[in-house]
Amino acid sequence: MDKDQLSAYLTDKSEGKLTLLEVGRHDPIFKVEASQLIEVCTWLRDDEQLKFDFLCNLSGVDTGEQFEVVYQLASTSKSLRVDIKVILPYDGAEIESVQKVWAAANWHEREMWELYGINVKNHGKLEFLLLPEDWDEGFPMRKDWDAPDFIRMPEF
Amino acid sequence: MSDLRTEEYYLNMGPHHPSTHGVCRMVLKMDGEKVKEIEPHIGYLHRSIEKICENRTYAQCIPILDRFEYVTAMSCNYVFALAAERLASIEVPERAEHIRVIMLELNRIASHLLFYGVTAMDIGALTPFLYGLRERESILDLFEMTCGQRLTYNYIRVGGVSRDLPNGFIPKCHEALNTIEKKLADYEGLLNENPIWLVRTVGIGVLPAKVALDYGVSGPCLRASGVQYDLRRNDPYSIYDRFEFDIPVRHNGDCYDRYLLRLDEIRQSIHIVRQALDALPEGDFKAKVSPNFKPPAGEVYARIENSRGELGVHVISDGTKKPLRVKTRGASYNHIAVLPAFATDVLLADLVAIFATMDVIMPEVDR
Repeated sequence: MDKDQLSAYLTDKSEGKLTLLEVGRHDPIFKVEASQLIEVCTWLRDDEQLKFDFLCNLSGVDTGEQFEVVYQLASTSKSLRVDIKVILPYDGAEIESVQKVWAAANWHEREMWELYGINVKNHGKLEFLLLPEDWDEGFPMRKDWDAPDFIRMPEF
Repeated sequence: MSDLRTEEYYLNMGPHHPSTHGVCRMVLKMDGEKVKEIEPHIGYLHRSIEKICENRTYAQCIPILDRFEYVTAMSCNYVFALAAERLASIEVPERAEHIRVIMLELNRIASHLLFYGVTAMDIGALTPFLYGLRERESILDLFEMTCGQRLTYNYIRVGGVSRDLPNGFIPKCHEALNTIEKKLADYEGLLNENPIWLVRTVGIGVLPAKVALDYGVSGPCLRASGVQYDLRRNDPYSIYDRFEFDIPVRHNGDCYDRYLLRLDEIRQSIHIVRQALDALPEGDFKAKVSPNFKPPAGEVYARIENSRGELGVHVISDGTKKPLRVKTRGASYNHIAVLPAFATDVLLADLVAIFATMDVIMPEVDR
């Protein structure tokens, strides 16, 4: 299956749960609603033609207007790659944990929770991973967060 | 003996334990000398590389990412350059692609030689460390000759490489490869059938393939568990599809297989470098790219096979000269996260062997 066939297959078989976004520059990126995330992820992992059994990476993103959570998936047996993106509002950003589908999500979700303040439901162990235990200065990866001793690069 | 009462206790391994290759702390729940539970604590080396990258141009990100995984800094340079090239659809000259493959594979050999040395040292054999570092030196000399640096290269840039290969590089590279190939027999002679080594590694820390995939374990650790998955074949990048090489696979998933697999990979990398040196075309070593270039808005996740496994970088561009988001993914991150799932009910001394053969490097985990 090449990239176009994969996009067509996903659009066709997901019954409208996956929408292709135009931002992907190498691999297709699909948008999914937060409420359907677990259902779609389980299907992606178990479908005979897809078998996305490998979670490469999970990124939290702050675009300045909204949060995005991007799941980079790979299939080791079929050599496929796809990205799944969930868009969350700034206020009360919350997402379901995908650990039941891929255990690799555990640490990535903890990291996203501490750095962006996106709450992860049913995670089981939301504790600081990279930040110090006594950290109370907000969410450092948000765009509006500034460190007191951080020197901005001059424009040139 | 079975009616003797034992008392479980907690043991702090690290953050400055010599075998943790950096600063990693593991809280172990022990029953006598058996490890019952592991809880890794990371973050001691967190330098907020991702946040720093958001405030820099694409060209300025590359020397920062050198520090992301400094044992194979060429791969870190390359993966970010690859992401930027895919975002901006930059064509890279043929000569540059060949030079990149040569550097990436030399770096893989250097990293595996370091693995050979430090793993043996962690398990208690000092001599292999001296052997491994001796041959690694010849590769670092080649890098120093090419870009002036021995550890953090800043050599592979967006659009090509920073400078052409120096005079005399090709014969010196062949010489180094010949020496390493010859010395591999010595390495194997020291350890492969050494009874102490076998007792410490065979059947220790078996990582089942299903657990490995679930936790995102990649690279040699995954292939030692019997999964043939190598991004150079399964998600090809650069010009790897032109070279002939095997993907070594082993099936037991124990410490011994993870060790043997890396020695097999050194042979394959030598083979690739020789082919790339023979096929090296004349021409430009860099495409014309402005240092302030602005890729069009879009996002890309670039991933390559480095010596530890999948090295990935997720870059989002909003059309300005600075990236909106850079997220790095190192293989060691998953290799530590998987420890609680399979490295339990082992002796404390065996945990050191397991940790060493997973080939974890901490700056890649903490970023």
